[in-house]
Amino acid sequence: MSLLKINTVDRLDRPSAYYAGKQKRRRYNDREEDRDREREKEDELAKLQNATTLYVGNLSFYTTEEQIHELFAKCGEIKRLVMGLDRFEKTPCGFCFVEYYNHQDALDCLKYIGGTKLDERIIRTDLDPGFEEGRQYGRGKSGGQVRDEYREEYDPGRGGYGRAYDELRRAEEQYGSGR
Amino acid sequence: MADYERRNNGYRGGGGGRKRRYRDDEDFDRRPQRRRYEEPLFVQVRRQLLTIAESVCSAFPHPTARHCLNTNARCATSQAARRVEDDIMRIAQSVAENSEDPDMRDTFVNISLDLVLEQPMKIPFVAATSLVVYNLKAELGVEILKKAGEALQKHIDSGSWREVKLLLRFLGGLQPLFEGNGVFALLEELFNRAVDLQTTSSEDLLGLELVKIILFTIPYVMASPATGFESQALALLEKTDIIASTPHALVDLVNTFGPQEHQDAAGPSLISLLQGQLQTEAEQGWELKCLPRPWKGVQEIEKDDQEPGQNPFEPVNKIAFPDITVPTSVPHGARPLFPEIYLSVYANQDIDTVPPTSNVASSLLRDALVDTINLLDFNRVAVAKYLIDVDCYFTPYIFVKRATPFDRMRDLAGEALAWKPEDVAVDAVFSQLFQLPTPEHKLVYYHSLLTECCKIAPAAIAPSLGRAIRFLYNSLETMDVELSARFLDWFTHHLSNFGFTWKWSEWIDDLELPTVHPKMAFISGALDKECRLSFAQRIKGTLPEPYLPLIPDIKEDEAPGFKYLSELTPYAKEGQELMQLIRKKASDEEIQPVIAAIEEQAQGLGVEDPKVPSTDALMTSICYVGSKSLSHILSCIERNKDRLLSIGAVSETARRQIIASVMEYWAGQPGVAIDIIDKLLNYTILTPTSVVEWALSDSMAAGTVLAKSYIFEMISATVGKVTNRMRQIVAARIQPGLYEPQLSVLEETLERERAAMQSLFKFIEDSVVSVAAGSNDGLMERGDGSGDLPEDDLIRQWGRRWLRAFRRKLAVEEAFITGALANATQVGTVAPSQPEAPVPGEGPDGDVHVPDADGQ
Repeated sequence: MSLLKINTVDRLDRPSAYYAGKQKRRRYNDREEDRDREREKEDELAKLQNATTLYVGNLSFYTTEEQIHELFAKCGEIKRLVMGLDRFEKTPCGFCFVEYYNHQDALDCLKYIGGTKLDERIIRTDLDPGFEEGRQYGRGKSGGQVRDEYREEYDPGRGGYGRAYDELRRAEEQYGSGR
Repeated sequence: MADYERRNNGYRGGGGGRKRRYRDDEDFDRRPQRRRYEEPLFVQVRRQLLTIAESVCSAFPHPTARHCLNTNARCATSQAARRVEDDIMRIAQSVAENSEDPDMRDTFVNISLDLVLEQPMKIPFVAATSLVVYNLKAELGVEILKKAGEALQKHIDSGSWREVKLLLRFLGGLQPLFEGNGVFALLEELFNRAVDLQTTSSEDLLGLELVKIILFTIPYVMASPATGFESQALALLEKTDIIASTPHALVDLVNTFGPQEHQDAAGPSLISLLQGQLQTEAEQGWELKCLPRPWKGVQEIEKDDQEPGQNPFEPVNKIAFPDITVPTSVPHGARPLFPEIYLSVYANQDIDTVPPTSNVASSLLRDALVDTINLLDFNRVAVAKYLIDVDCYFTPYIFVKRATPFDRMRDLAGEALAWKPEDVAVDAVFSQLFQLPTPEHKLVYYHSLLTECCKIAPAAIAPSLGRAIRFLYNSLETMDVELSARFLDWFTHHLSNFGFTWKWSEWIDDLELPTVHPKMAFISGALDKECRLSFAQRIKGTLPEPYLPLIPDIKEDEAPGFKYLSELTPYAKEGQELMQLIRKKASDEEIQPVIAAIEEQAQGLGVEDPKVPSTDALMTSICYVGSKSLSHILSCIERNKDRLLSIGAVSETARRQIIASVMEYWAGQPGVAIDIIDKLLNYTILTPTSVVEWALSDSMAAGTVLAKSYIFEMISATVGKVTNRMRQIVAARIQPGLYEPQLSVLEETLERERAAMQSLFKFIEDSVVSVAAGSNDGLMERGDGSGDLPEDDLIRQWGRRWLRAFRRKLAVEEAFITGALANATQVGTVAPSQPEAPVPGEGPDGDVHVPDADGQ
């Protein structure tokens, strides 16, 4: 746009702290390979230079592809939509990947749709280097997303309590009533 | 996201729990201490500059104010509003006293200019700061002027006219600094260019843009501390009058309301309004009540080497205005120009909550707000905050207190004229959302901006939106049809962010209107869109009883039924068989006999095109088998792609049957049908012509189809695909370094596609024009054939409104193509005899790669 290298307010179309943090964590894991890691980190960020894919999080398990399409098409034509699925049940587990044809559409989506509501939930969007087979499955122990394992709040749109937490809670309850 | 946050602050508060178990017994805190260090002064100044005029202690605290509280200790402690005048003096003094620090110099110069180019509402304050800095440390003032001049030159050379306007505004605020006429000399020069452009072409828009820049600079010069420029301003105004007041031929095209539908409501062009307003101001001695004068009330500064009593804003030694050359041939910028209309959604209220068009404040506030909105699209949260803080950046007393209820405005109406800040801010966003032909950013940006405003200050903003919605709803009959579609889209998207709550009860009476009435069409369209973003049961729960019949039960069927399951459907047996085959992914050899059986039967029944019933069975089966989700239908289409592709090659009627079958199957959820048709277009199973013909010929239904919002959506999307592809071809044609034989190949493609685009528009024109004129056969046969039924008028009106919208679309595209090709390399140009460089985008076979038509 202008001469500006740095804008006077933050930009919402940058990779999230989560993405940057993931790279950082990797880097510190092994100091001997620092230089390799450094290069890898740059590669990772470079992958986002022309990224057309977004990771979309905090969806309700009940939100359909059509609903996602309806909202995300407001930023441009969608090339592909991949629903996140429970690794075991193969049912939606609250995230998806939206791929556009253009990089700019993906950036616009971060700016205009990230942090707004879909199906009455505030959704989160993050620039993603691109979908790969296997990434559509939850990485949590019980098949869903990791965040749904230990969640202590009851979330009816995401299967109630976190699964691991829920088990613990039930066990404690039973123990309590047994006494 | 919530879980990350909890992890960070849960520890100390005892909320987290799990981690505490093994840390409970440690009685010292091992967390790394925040490093304590004195922040360098330039960092402080940077922040002070960036937040200049942002009052954190306003009458209306809001959540985002928090970060200001953190960054400004002074303000956190004192509840009394800080005076911006004091801030200006303090910043200028810090800068001047530390001017030998290179970081400080850079901060001052760069941040000031960044603010000028990104946050126009702050320009008067930044300019005032620069004035004081100049007086305290002349060389720093010279430095910022030099840099501003360079930036201005660069933007003039590239045709970035908004940036030119903003830099001129900044320099205009520094008028007291300059020798002679200062900024007026440059304005005169710009005017001369405008005259040249206008005399060359009556359709010229660039000259108008230059005049607009001149007009928007004058008030800021006149509101600067400089005095004695009344005659220069008036002389310039007298000259601009002829250009600014002559209506441009294209004004009607971009009007919010079709002049044919609503003569009075036709909005005046921005530039003619401003011209008149400035003339009035000139007569009234340039009162310019709305513009801030942050130097009033500051009289003296203490400085050792200056005599006390020196006015900090009045320079002793004047300097020359930066040397700027305006090229004789002024460049068009990247953004296509169109006349601009002044739209206010609060125009017709019994009390003015926004400045009336007779007041220069209407233009000045709007201009600064719109630029802020469009420049900062990358952070809607920040923009929302600036919009809500609008009263900080202009003369405070022109506004009533924030969140003053509309009814209370009635009581205040007798007192001094003052406007509602929320209305002024929201109005500016709507002006962009309803900008024709297209606003600068995607429409969804303006949606999300309004959502953000509503989130930050719900009590203040929501009632303003409510009044805007009522105005728009009541204007539906006369509004441009593309704009009613935008209104529908925004309205439903907005509600989806706020629990789908709307006072539907107030429109209950309108449910009596005929279905083709624009209001009824809006209500049906809105409920359909709401269901698409949510689901039918949920939406039903938000509606009063009388609306429920508008959401038919079929909307709730996630997977609609399969018509061939009923024995009454012709070809029921074959239809079922076909569906089973498709379900089990049978091979082509297995499918073909069933198709043939249908066609044979149809032939026996005397069906004109036997391919039609077989296509119906095939496509309906694909829809049914793929009804679980969009992915399902897509893979189902993918598997049967070749068969579907071959249909169109044989019969155009059968190709249109594909559309008919999809629309019929998803009749309850047209949104799904539109998505599928969109994908079928990408596969080239359908052609744009087939979609348009299906809608405007096969389904015209005496013109009533024009009232269906999803049809407009479908046709717009289809036309959008065509024009988008056209633009990509144009882009390929005009890329530099292109020579024969590629030039001819591309030229040929371009001419062919251009002709195809024109014939598509021609078809729409011809179909719709007969509806508008009432000569459509179907329309003639409606009811008693007299064409005098109350609905007939409405249908003719829909025809006129469609006509206007699609004529505009064509005009815009043609203008784009002509403009883009003006400087293209001539066909026949041969590469200079040098070792040939590979031409970008060219394949080895001489084909030029044109990206697929995608995007919107």
